[in-house]
Amino acid sequence: MSAHQAYVGIGTNLGDRIQNVERAFAAVGQLGTILRKSSIYRTKPWGNPRQPWFANAAVLVETELSPRALFNGLQAAEKNLGRTPIERWGPRVIDLDLLLYDDLEIDEPDLRVPHERLDERAFVLVPLAEIDARFETMRDALPAAELADVVPCAARSVGSLGESELPMFPQRGHSAGERVRVLARFLAESDAVRVRIERPNEEIEVVSRVRASSSSRSTGKEPAEKTAAPRIDTIKADLVGIFRASRPAPMEGDVFESDRELGYIEALGIRTPVHSMGSGRLVAVATADGSPVEYGQPLFLVARA
Amino acid sequence: MIANRGEIALRINRACRELGVATVAIFSEADRDSMHVRQADEAFCVGPGPAARSYLNIPNIISTALITGCDAVHPGYGFLAENARFAEICNDHGLTFIGPKPSVIAMMGDKATAKRLVREAGVATTPGSDVLASVEEAQAAAASIGYPVLLKATAGGGGRGMRVVHDAADLPRAYAGATAEAEASFKDGRVYLEKLIFAPRHIEVQVLGDEFGNLVHLGERDCSVQKPSHQKIVEETPAPNLASDTRAALHEMALRASRGVGYTNAGTLEFLVLGRDAYFMEMNTRIQVEHPVTEMVYNIDLVKEQIRIAAGEPLGYTQKDLVARGHAIECRINAEDPQNHFAPAAGTVSKVVFPGGPGIRVDTHLYAGATIPPYYDSMIAKVVAFGDTREIAIARMERALRETLIEGVNTTIALCLEILSTAEFREGRYDIELLLKEPSRS
Repeated sequence: MSAHQAYVGIGTNLGDRIQNVERAFAAVGQLGTILRKSSIYRTKPWGNPRQPWFANAAVLVETELSPRALFNGLQAAEKNLGRTPIERWGPRVIDLDLLLYDDLEIDEPDLRVPHERLDERAFVLVPLAEIDARFETMRDALPAAELADVVPCAARSVGSLGESELPMFPQRGHSAGERVRVLARFLAESDAVRVRIERPNEEIEVVSRVRASSSSRSTGKEPAEKTAAPRIDTIKADLVGIFRASRPAPMEGDVFESDRELGYIEALGIRTPVHSMGSGRLVAVATADGSPVEYGQPLFLVARA
Repeated sequence: MIANRGEIALRINRACRELGVATVAIFSEADRDSMHVRQADEAFCVGPGPAARSYLNIPNIISTALITGCDAVHPGYGFLAENARFAEICNDHGLTFIGPKPSVIAMMGDKATAKRLVREAGVATTPGSDVLASVEEAQAAAASIGYPVLLKATAGGGGRGMRVVHDAADLPRAYAGATAEAEASFKDGRVYLEKLIFAPRHIEVQVLGDEFGNLVHLGERDCSVQKPSHQKIVEETPAPNLASDTRAALHEMALRASRGVGYTNAGTLEFLVLGRDAYFMEMNTRIQVEHPVTEMVYNIDLVKEQIRIAAGEPLGYTQKDLVARGHAIECRINAEDPQNHFAPAAGTVSKVVFPGGPGIRVDTHLYAGATIPPYYDSMIAKVVAFGDTREIAIARMERALRETLIEGVNTTIALCLEILSTAEFREGRYDIELLLKEPSRS
C-alpha cells in the first residue's frame, strides 16, 4: 500500500465548536497520519447573521486509504461526532469535507474531488493556505470582506499556547470576575488584541480596546494604560427544552439599555423566559430559534458595558 | 431513552441495538465524555455533576424524552429506577416506563408495605417495624423487636441508608446517619427497622412477568459476599450448598409473592436464608447489577426481555422451558480503596486491559483516559465468569481478574481475588459475615 496525501476541511457551528474541531482532528487522525494542522478560525456565517459563528480548520493527512474509503471514514466520523441533540433538527455538528486527494479528480454523484467549493469560500481557503502555500494565491483572490470574516480564534492562536503553559490563565477555582481580570492582565502583558477562552461550560472573550483601535493609528501618544474590553456573559439554557427566540428575533449587534427577554425555553408545556440579565450588547446568537437545547447550552453572548 | 449512566446505560444500549431500537442517552456535565454518551444515537445533557440536579432531575429527563420523540424510558438501576412517581410521570406523558406498574413500584418500594403485602401472600418475612416517624419511635420498635437491629431506608437499595444497631445507645446516631443518607440517595429519608438475623446468607430470586399473567422465575443468586456497608461485591448462581428443598421453596415463595402483588417485568426478591429458614427481605422492582450471572446460566437477555414485556409482548415460554446450565460468578470492580474503608477513588484511568477468553463477560463503561467523576457509584466494571461447574467458573474468574489491569485508580480487584481464595468461598460455605471475619486461606 502506498501513502497518499489528502486535505480535509473541518467546519462546525453548534455546541462547543473549539472542542468539536479538536475532536475532528482526532477523528481524522484515526484515518491516517496528520502531517499539518491549521489554526482554528472563527467564521461569520454566510447569509443569515442570526446563525451562530462557525469554527473552521483544515488538516493535511497522509493515508493509505483510497479516496472512497477515506470519504466513507470521514462520513462515519461526522456521524460519530455529530451524536448530539441537535442532529435531528438542524445542521450537522461537524462537517468533514474531503478537499483534495493527491492530484486526483473525482466526479461521482456523492463525491467530488477537488471539493466543489474549494476555490470560492474563504472559510475553506484561509485554513488551507495556512498549511499549504500553494493556495495563498487562490485565497488572496477572494474579496477582502470575505477574508475579514475568517479570523483565528484568538485564545488558541496566541503562540498556540495550551492552558497549562499559561500560568496566569484563569483556574477553575476563580470566579467569573477573577477570570476576566486574569485574562485582562494576560492581555496587558502580551501583544494579543483579543483573548478568547472556550470550555464546555464557559466562553470568555476579552478584547484590548485600546490596542485594537490604536493599531490603525500610525502615530500619536499611546495611552499608558490598556483597558480590557467589556466582560462577555454567556446566557445558557438552564433546562432541557425547545428554544424559541423573541419576536422580532434578537440579532447580533442589538443593544439593550435594560434587561430584555430574548426568548423562552418550552419544556413540558411551560415556557421559561430567557433574559439578557441586564443591559448590554448582543455579541452572538449561539442557538437557532426552534432548536432543542440541553442543559448548559450557550444561547447568547452578551457584552456588558 | 436510557435514564442512567455507566455500565448499565451501555448494557441497555446494547439490548436496544440488538432489537433495532434507536436510543437517546442523558448525561451530566461531569459525564460529557462518558462511553454511554458516545454509544447512544443521541445524547442530551440534563444537568450539572451532582445526581440530584442531573440523573434525578425529572423535568429535564422527561423533557429530553419528549423533544427527542422517545417511546419508552429504561431507568436501569439506582437513580430513578424505583421511583414510582417518575414511572407515573413517564406514563402520564405517553412514555412507557420499562418496569412494573407505578402502583406496584410504590407498594414494593416502600419496604415496610412490601413486607406486609408479601406476608399476606403467605411468605415469611423478617420481624420488623413499619416506617418510623422519629428516633423515639425507632427506640420503641427496636426494644420490642430486640437488638441487634438493622435500620433500612424504605426507598433504599444498594446498602445505602442502612445501619446495624447493636444497642439503644447507638440508635440516635445510626438513625440520623441512615435518614440523611437515604434522603441524599433517594430523596426519601424514611427508614424502618428489621431484626438483624445473625450471619444469614443473602439469596435472591429473579422473576420475570408479562402483562398477561405469565410469571416465571430464573433461579436464585447468592449475594452473601458483601462489604461492611452491605454493598454486594461477588455474586453467583446457583447458590452453593443450598438444600434442594430450600431452593425450591425460595423459588416458590418468589413466585407466590410476585403473583400476590400482580408483578410485571423483571424483578428480584431478596431473602435472608439461615439454614433451611428463608425470610423475604425486600423486592427490587428493576434490573439488578448482578443480572448477568442469571443471563449466563439461562442463556437469556434479561434487558431485552424487559423491553419486550414493556412493549406488550407475551413471555412466550413457561417455567419448564427454562433450564439453567452451569455456574456463573460476578465480581464487581469498584474504583475504591479496600485498604482505606472502601473510600471511593475519583480520577483518570490511565491504562485499562480487560480480560477475555472462554466463559468471560465484562460489562464496563471504562476506557483508557476515562475520568471517574466523584459524584456517582464507584462501580467501574463487572467481570462475569461462566463454567460448567463452580470450580471451572472460579478458576476462570481468578485468571480473568489476574488478566485485568486498571491503572490510575485503586480498585477492588485484589480484594475479589482474596475473596475467591478463601476456604469459605471455595467450599461454598460463606455468609454475609465473610468480609468481616479474618480471612482463612485455602
